[in-house]
Amino acid sequence: MKSAVCAALLAGVTLAAQTAPQKIAVDSPTLRADQTMPRDHTPDGRNISPPLTWSNVPASTKELAVVCEDPDAGNPPPFVHWVIYGIPATAKGLPEAIPIDPAAAMPAEIAGAIQGVSGFRRPIYRGPAPPPGKPHHYHFVVYALDANLNLKPGLTRADLLAAIQGHVIGQGEIVAIYERKAP
Amino acid sequence: MTFISRRDLLKRAAVVGAAAVPANAGRPFQGRLNEADGEPERLALRETALHGEAMAPREPLENLTAAEADLVEAIVARLIPTDANGPGATEARAAHYIDRALGGALASSRQTYTSGLAALDKYSRSSRGKPFTELSATDQDSILIDVETGAATGFTGSSAAFFNLVLNHTHQGTFGDPYYGGNANFTGWDLVGYPGIRTMVTAADQQRLEKKDLRSNHKSAYDYEAFTKATAQNRSRRSPHKEGA
Repeated sequence: MKSAVCAALLAGVTLAAQTAPQKIAVDSPTLRADQTMPRDHTPDGRNISPPLTWSNVPASTKELAVVCEDPDAGNPPPFVHWVIYGIPATAKGLPEAIPIDPAAAMPAEIAGAIQGVSGFRRPIYRGPAPPPGKPHHYHFVVYALDANLNLKPGLTRADLLAAIQGHVIGQGEIVAIYERKAP
Repeated sequence: MTFISRRDLLKRAAVVGAAAVPANAGRPFQGRLNEADGEPERLALRETALHGEAMAPREPLENLTAAEADLVEAIVARLIPTDANGPGATEARAAHYIDRALGGALASSRQTYTSGLAALDKYSRSSRGKPFTELSATDQDSILIDVETGAATGFTGSSAAFFNLVLNHTHQGTFGDPYYGGNANFTGWDLVGYPGIRTMVTAADQQRLEKKDLRSNHKSAYDYEAFTKATAQNRSRRSPHKEGA
């Protein structure tokens, strides 16, 4: 009886290990975890998307997706600042300043990537513009997917999360903060 | 970046209709230069123009200062851009329409333009390090998106309200009747395939229109004597003090 229970527990642990996404290490040349985001990634500066890098991506990854979200805002939260998916598995990150022109080509290393619709209702990165009062947290979440899902353009964060459900084999994030002072 | 895609533009124009310009939106050209009003924000804009490169001769403005007019020109050029698909708000002279109309039907918006343009230029300098007119098209688009989404700072109220006001006036200046100072050479109507004002449409015209083969007659409503007479009669019944208000 005891051995049967142990076997069942071991099987459960093995199953959990198989289903829990592998932790991806996310970093950035310009963002520092839990530190204030540089102005250039906000509308107080050039409002360009930050460069990201990642490692420890599962070997079986077929494509990646990134979402930037602010759980301190939105109705309901989070407020979404960026959605980009269809990123090739070969990519080691995202370069800075992904084009805001829908007609512009994606950088070669992420050719084929698509920017989805943010909370600003535009398919581009728009940085933090929180109301003055308290710092907000900006989560840049990276998802590794086990299949090429051929996701169509125009997906919101909710659309994307629904589409990738059951395909996430790796996940990680870097969190930066930003606060606007009252004028 | 094409700030408003040509496809979106055509969709919107189809909804708005080519005649969607308020009656009496413009007024006869008066040919006077705008006087300084002493407001610090306007002075700052004007100073930029004075210290800039040698300026080419320009037609006299009716209401905007030279620096404000340059800024409006730059804004409308990004809202309805000139691109591979054809001319835009620049060729339609939407800024000219706005300048004229701010002394007429849009006079109530004059102060909003004064403060909004000054705020936009100040925001451009603080966030991108340059006046709006000196930025690349991509950076100008980025600024305008920030203004549109309400993320830009320094505006009285939400910057989105100012954006919507200017966008609306840009549509009027591009697609309204040329009589009011915009839609120069029927640029806007040609852009959306509007065949021009007609007092009569024959069955053959209707068939050509449905086949998108009806060529524009490039006629304004004011090219028709009947319309002009009716307008003159209506104006004569009004108080002259209300004219253009």
